[in-house]
Amino acid sequence: MKNERVDKLIQLAWLEGWISTHGAYEKAIVKRNTKTLVLPNSRAALIERLESALAETKADTPLTVGALLRGLRTEHSLRSQEIFSRIGVTQNIYRMMEQDTVSPLKISLEVWKRLIALLNLSVDELAEMIRRTHQLVFFRPMLKGVLARYSSRKKKGMKTSILEKAYSEMYAKANLELPEAEQRRLNYLITTLKDETKGSTTS
Amino acid sequence: MAAISNRTIVQELKSGDRLGCARLVDMYQARLIDEAVHVFHLPSEDAEELVSDVLLAVVRKINTFEFKRGDGDFHLWVITIFRNKVRDVVRHRALTDGLIERFEEGGLRDDNAYSKVEREVTDAIIRQYQEAIRDSESAITEGESAESAGAEGAGNSTVAAKLLAIADALERLETWERVLLRCRALDVPYDDIARYTDKSVAQLKVYHARVKKKFVKILAEHYPELQGNEERTG
Repeated sequence: MKNERVDKLIQLAWLEGWISTHGAYEKAIVKRNTKTLVLPNSRAALIERLESALAETKADTPLTVGALLRGLRTEHSLRSQEIFSRIGVTQNIYRMMEQDTVSPLKISLEVWKRLIALLNLSVDELAEMIRRTHQLVFFRPMLKGVLARYSSRKKKGMKTSILEKAYSEMYAKANLELPEAEQRRLNYLITTLKDETKGSTTS
Repeated sequence: MAAISNRTIVQELKSGDRLGCARLVDMYQARLIDEAVHVFHLPSEDAEELVSDVLLAVVRKINTFEFKRGDGDFHLWVITIFRNKVRDVVRHRALTDGLIERFEEGGLRDDNAYSKVEREVTDAIIRQYQEAIRDSESAITEGESAESAGAEGAGNSTVAAKLLAIADALERLETWERVLLRCRALDVPYDDIARYTDKSVAQLKVYHARVKKKFVKILAEHYPELQGNEERTG
């Protein structure tokens, strides 16, 4: 394509957002035959960069609703009241949400919708956190039972608080199979949340 | 390109699956380098770096992306990121090398060639755009941290405002002429434009140079203040 002065002007206006081709340019890109030959090592190097960026992104993503709320509060130096009053829960419930000690199934759909709007979250992102939080809350009593047995044996060398943290993280990360009824309830919450927020959130 | 759906790539990236990275690269690396080099005339090394930045931004922001209308949403999102990165490179070039270059005008026949006044007008717009970028850049450099964020926002709108004349002059053309100019500036094939405008490909090819000339005439008529401005050193 020639480097022509009028084309250049129009390109500048397009780049600065003054004009649009209403999707014609975007469609044309898909249909074009590529002329550039990318060298295999250049492709491999880029894939490697993207993979490390993806790994970093995953590490930065909060796993559970509690981690999300704690991160939000510390990152923006907010008081918990500033968050729980906006999403419409009591202080006690908010504290339990931050500590991942309440099942997401017990939180109303309205609260989740307000949280999505407040944080400009994607529904898929929150749904994944809800799933992990529910899994953690559901399996935690079993973990407590195991820890209590160790504690009763007076194994003083065992730092139960550290262990509990480690197990909590492990449960949050794992993909464990919930009992059928639990899974159904969780699916219902996530599907309803997605249906009700369709078209009302921004990416 | 349509063999793997965009939804698959997005799902893979969101779930941390590395296969998504390879698919993203295969789908976009060569394609976007092509656009940067052949449409926006960037040097190929810059284009390759730019495309890496675009795809890195896609991966880093993937969790903020959501499908709203259809599978094509992802492609539009990637192209928006690409557009913003190209704009940043163009602005940087405006600060360093300058954007007024030896333009090729081989497509214009003698009777359609630009007059001196018309060249001055187009050059003046580009020069004003460059100057606005320089001013905005120095305002940011001189500003303090809190004020600089505001200065950057204000600077961006001032820079973009220098191109308002282009959008305004395009509005004075007939719809099909506007579509033709906008689309050809981004190398949209004549076949596609023919479908959008109900004109034949042959007609569009003939009219393209004339419409360009008409557009520049409108600029010269409506923005007489742009004429006769010799280039200032900046």
